[in-house]
Amino acid sequence: MKGILQRIGHILSLLSPMTWLGGLARLWVRWFGLGPFSFVLINAVRNQRRATLTVLSVASSCALLVTLLTLQRELTVPPESEGASLRIIARNKVSLAQPLPAKQLATVEKIPGVVAVSPFTYFGGNYKGEEMTSFAQFAVDPARFRELLVEGRISDGSYDEFIKDRNSCFVGADTMKRYGLKIGDKMKFTGTFYPVDLDLKIAAVFQGTVDDRGVFFHHKLLDELNGDPGTVGTWYLRVASAEVANDVIARVNKAFENSTAEVRAESERAFQMGFISMLGNVKVLTLSISGVVVFTLMLVTVSTMSMAIRERFRELAILKALGFRRRDLFSFILAESFGLAALGALVGIGGAWALWTFLDLQKMTNGFLLYFEVTPRIMASGAIVAAVLGILAAIGPSLAVARMSVVEGLKTLD
Amino acid sequence: MALPLRYNFRNVVVRWRTTVFTVLGVAAVVSVFVLLRALARGIESTSGNTGDPRNILVVRKGSQAESGSLVTREQFRTLQYFDEIDRNERGEAVVSAELVMIVNAPRRAGAGDANTLLRGITPRGMELRPQVSLVEGRWFTPGKREVVVSRRLSGRFEGFEIGGTLKAGPDHLTVVGIFDGQGSAFDSEAWMDADESRSIFDREQYSSVLLRPRDAVSASNIVSRLETDKRLSLRAESETGYYAKQTMTAMPFKILGGILGVAMSIGAVFAAMNTMYASVAARTREVGTLRVLGYSRRAVVLCFMIEGTLVALMGGVLGCAIALALNFYVQVRGVFFGTMDFQSFAETVFQFRVTPDLVGLGLLFSVVIGVVGSFLPALRASRLPVIAALKSV
Repeated sequence: MKGILQRIGHILSLLSPMTWLGGLARLWVRWFGLGPFSFVLINAVRNQRRATLTVLSVASSCALLVTLLTLQRELTVPPESEGASLRIIARNKVSLAQPLPAKQLATVEKIPGVVAVSPFTYFGGNYKGEEMTSFAQFAVDPARFRELLVEGRISDGSYDEFIKDRNSCFVGADTMKRYGLKIGDKMKFTGTFYPVDLDLKIAAVFQGTVDDRGVFFHHKLLDELNGDPGTVGTWYLRVASAEVANDVIARVNKAFENSTAEVRAESERAFQMGFISMLGNVKVLTLSISGVVVFTLMLVTVSTMSMAIRERFRELAILKALGFRRRDLFSFILAESFGLAALGALVGIGGAWALWTFLDLQKMTNGFLLYFEVTPRIMASGAIVAAVLGILAAIGPSLAVARMSVVEGLKTLD
Repeated sequence: MALPLRYNFRNVVVRWRTTVFTVLGVAAVVSVFVLLRALARGIESTSGNTGDPRNILVVRKGSQAESGSLVTREQFRTLQYFDEIDRNERGEAVVSAELVMIVNAPRRAGAGDANTLLRGITPRGMELRPQVSLVEGRWFTPGKREVVVSRRLSGRFEGFEIGGTLKAGPDHLTVVGIFDGQGSAFDSEAWMDADESRSIFDREQYSSVLLRPRDAVSASNIVSRLETDKRLSLRAESETGYYAKQTMTAMPFKILGGILGVAMSIGAVFAAMNTMYASVAARTREVGTLRVLGYSRRAVVLCFMIEGTLVALMGGVLGCAIALALNFYVQVRGVFFGTMDFQSFAETVFQFRVTPDLVGLGLLFSVVIGVVGSFLPALRASRLPVIAALKSV
């Protein structure tokens, strides 16, 4: 039993970066002799267990911090696309759930600056037996909708086929891949908002938009199934250029003022942000948790550094007696604490980056998290926090060392 | 023989510097964990606290929530005359057809806008919900474009006070009363007359029907009758059962709490291990002495594990105290949180609740951190060679 434990310990210690650093430190000393750098290096890794634990705890906190910042970015910043600035969504002023009269189309079309417009109605169905389907289905006017597709391309099938066949649909490549579908396959949906079911044939596939998951079908089919209520969910507009977008928004709102169905038009981006803001105050929540994480991180680093220094109070007293000045001692301590924090940041941030880049989160979270991109900016903020901590952690022990008298230090037993 | 606990207590106090750091670290982890679970608990208790066990809610077959449901007037007419429905003292059937609408309203203090749930209700509907009582003003008069709002909403939305207005389509509704739903889901709603609401929003159908059966037997009769009646295409369910299922909104908080709890506790375990290793290293001689005095290895392991757990538990107690203090502040000041209900797309208003079992869970969590963090250092202490340990400075 004891032998096995020892062997495991030995293998684990080989895995630890500290063991390698220890070896490197010895090599360094052999080649370059004893200088300030090798002195710091040897000191940092002389208690391998403590150094490893410090690095790992800084690393886990850094990884958590990076993950939280990424989560916040994912939830608060909708993916931007070139077409988004050109597109406008007009909904009923009462709320998104209240439909608009289909007859508004004639008015919207004539508004100067509007290049294309299509009805855009959220169907909210569940795909073949699923409890909660994560991709959206929209009813559109296929011929008009074509003009709204600024980015993305038809990767399979033909759009003309989609326009021709009233029972067909236009599907995103991600959804095709996820369910292993091909052109000509059927997709069945059970309505949750509408009391009707859909049975659609896949006619064309699109790829290259910010979200390649949606399913689009004929608004005529939805009207037919619902007994022609003469309503649409929202209007989806495209304007001639980004400069006129604000004027067009004002014109659309004005056109239906004081009518029975007043309209609220906003840019696609503003529309998405509005949706996100309803989730509650995500930003405050993630920021306050990040604050607690940084606080914990600080405690860990500070406590370890002061432990490391207290352990060798006697040595530092000897250095002082030998004539090293406070400044020198401070730089030794600072270099060690900064080095350990930097290594922890490297492991933690790199680990988080690798994890979130190579893991298929979209599949794991059923499409809730789409990109989860760890941007250079987020990694930099994690690194800055770690660097500042490394410096802060050195201050306390350095002050203690500076204040101690040599005699007292030499007497220390702890 | 085990070492006296006093030895551990005194050690913790004497080495107060490292103790403080570890305690604070564990406290941070535990408080984040408990608070996130308390948010989820607040949402769950809102839906768990809604409805009358005697009532039955009828929605369209296939719809998961009231907001996505449609009940036609014909269907309601059929339903209305079911024999199983109870009658009140005036001999009227206790059944209410209601319309649930989402209305976009500006938040107070210019913080954007949010969706709120506007329920078109009937006098019977109010009888069916004894949880809800008027606290200010009066109930609405049908046909006068009047509305009553919950007290919680009144604090969150612009114009949601008596005399204020709420814009619904081309019409303005005047707020004439404020009600209190005793922490139920109705606290996130505004109420007006059902038929008036249908005319304002130009709706043919109702959303749902709430009714009270004569007794338990008639209740199950209604449920099975609607289950088998293909012509009606409706689904009946007990009102409490329906609301108890609407807890999906709490999921993101639960998941976040779980993930953060695990991730932060890993960091905390490393910190605790660090402290305990340092503690063992500093007491090498002491351990040697204890062994010479006759304490067994097992006693030494136990001793260090107790000490590590004690430190972590102190952190746990502090963390729970922080959570409870926040809980107290939130209750006294009447602070509410809002999040979107994924089913109705309207805002659910809730208060976080640190319940005794969450405190227990937080303490347990800190004990686990302590035990895991001190196991290896304790093992090391017990393995110290006695003679060498005694010789060490």
